Amino acid sequence: MIAFLARRALSTVPTLVGITILTFAILNLLPTDPIQVWSGGGSYSAEAAEHLRSELRLEQGVAARYASWGFALLRGDLGRSLRDGRTVASVIAGALPWSLLLNLCSVLLIYGVSVPFGLFGASSPGSVADRLGHLILLLLYAVPSFAAALILQQWFAVRLGWLPLHGVSAQGASSVERAWDLARHLALPTACLALSGWAIVARYSRAAFRSLLNREFLAVARAKGLSRLRAYGHVTANAAVPFVTLLATILPGLVGGSVIVEQVFSLPGVGRLYLTSVEARDYPVVLGLTLLSAVLVLAGQLLVDVLYLIVDPRIREGLLGDRGDVH
Amino acid sequence: MFTESRRAAWIVLAIALAGLFAPLLANDRPILARVDGRLTAPALADLPLVGTLFDDPASRLVTWDAPTAWPSGASGRVLLMPPVPYSYRGIRLEDSLRPPSATHPMGTDALGRDLLARVLHGARLSIMVGFGATALALFIGFCIGALAGLRGGLVDLVIVRLLDVVACFPPFILALAFMAALGRTGVGPMVAGIALSRWTSMARYVRGEILRHRGGEIWVSARATGAGGIHLVLRHLLPLLAAPLAVMVSFGVANAIVLESALSFLGFGVNPPAPSWGSILAEARTSLDAAWWPVFFPSAALVTVLASLCSAAERAAGGESRGAPLS
Repeated sequence: MIAFLARRALSTVPTLVGITILTFAILNLLPTDPIQVWSGGGSYSAEAAEHLRSELRLEQGVAARYASWGFALLRGDLGRSLRDGRTVASVIAGALPWSLLLNLCSVLLIYGVSVPFGLFGASSPGSVADRLGHLILLLLYAVPSFAAALILQQWFAVRLGWLPLHGVSAQGASSVERAWDLARHLALPTACLALSGWAIVARYSRAAFRSLLNREFLAVARAKGLSRLRAYGHVTANAAVPFVTLLATILPGLVGGSVIVEQVFSLPGVGRLYLTSVEARDYPVVLGLTLLSAVLVLAGQLLVDVLYLIVDPRIREGLLGDRGDVH
Repeated sequence: MFTESRRAAWIVLAIALAGLFAPLLANDRPILARVDGRLTAPALADLPLVGTLFDDPASRLVTWDAPTAWPSGASGRVLLMPPVPYSYRGIRLEDSLRPPSATHPMGTDALGRDLLARVLHGARLSIMVGFGATALALFIGFCIGALAGLRGGLVDLVIVRLLDVVACFPPFILALAFMAALGRTGVGPMVAGIALSRWTSMARYVRGEILRHRGGEIWVSARATGAGGIHLVLRHLLPLLAAPLAVMVSFGVANAIVLESALSFLGFGVNPPAPSWGSILAEARTSLDAAWWPVFFPSAALVTVLASLCSAAERAAGGESRGAPLS
């Protein structure tokens, strides 16, 4: 299994190199004057423009710049922010935990709500509740995250005043109070980010459960006296593979989606950092974050492959079987 | 089953037409008027593309909303006003934040602009960018996918690698990076950026289908009659792919509309005062505590179009989702 994982990880190397090339190409190969673009319409003095020119190493050719950027990257050096001179790595490291926390919460929320929902829909197909649920999910799927964010803010923060409007904080006397405060701040953004995922996973799980509920093994198990709940347990275990596949569909969307959600709710995550960097024309940070977002998607694909091995013994055995130690 | 899909398609078509003819539906200038004894059509001058044909310098001197105070230079008589007699940019601070009523069916925004007029004009941009970017993505994707499928070998290998790489970038990030590198926002860069991030799924599909049909009955018989590769793809394969491609296109348009409105929402899209559903929502953020209508109506418009596109696509695809999820 280790050997397989190593092989799989190695196979991402060409893609990884491709990602660095494309990231660099987008930000360097367009027929524009970099000084003009990254100084904000040439509003810099000649001196500042000269500084920017040396900072961006514009006196070298594109290939040479890519090479030096790539070698620095191998050492883990992403350059320095044009705004405050901090290293790009530390700027990103400061923002990343927030985004990871937000995305983790929303994945949990997506699966926590939509798997039971799908199971319920599948166990009574065609019922009024099932059809109503389908309609609601279609509508939820069609609400863009920023519109949902505004509607949620308006109702739960402004009208009802139950939750904070935006920002994050974790204040309180005890650690329980601090956690509660943090949870209150994360509730709306998490729900927003989970919206479209809900619809996808619930529809998918409904279809997966439905095909499973008709299987013979379940009828046999029920006939032998297995409780409904235990039977659902068997069904869920069998549906695990499609759910892992879905994770691969949801993850990239979350990275892009969290840009909007973090902006609307003023969360200091990488999405918001990306926007402010684009607005402030902070070239090294934009470069670093574009790279990071693509690498995260790639890492997500790798994670999904690993999860396959964990949840499905058939796949695991098939792989190891190639090497002849199972069959 | 298909009737529902058709109804959804009609809704989208109706909104697209409403957007296209928005200057005739919502305008503070009359559709037909008599100025200095001549018939003119001031509202028609606001139409895209053909507008210049109807431009009349004399009618521009007339202040249509105050008939008693026409300048002495020009006198005119309104013959036919548009159904919504307000322009998307007509600021009237004394009418700020009026709730929905008979005169303003969707109410007014913080600057007193009629929201129905703004939503109608916003439809033009959203639909235009949605279809434009998807058409561009389809064109790029079809060409590159066909190239990979027909040529095979090294070309195919390189293109497949490229597809893997581009697919790693979240569409939202890719579009933003493109606009950051260009140093420009607006409709053109937005369409290019969205198309740039959306062509891969089409290319992958076209390539896969060509490989699947390659050596098949259609392929061999066409080849036997002397058809070349390009002729074969366009004449014999394209009709076969039309239905699945139409499904991908409707999901693609929905995705592009979400991207467009999200970018406009964040201030990277249209330049004010031109409205987009995203930018109307962004402006609504300032009046979250005072009014629900500036949030509700643009969101409702977005949800209607997106839900229609998705359900049309889904039903045409036989209930199975093929497209990438909305991000």
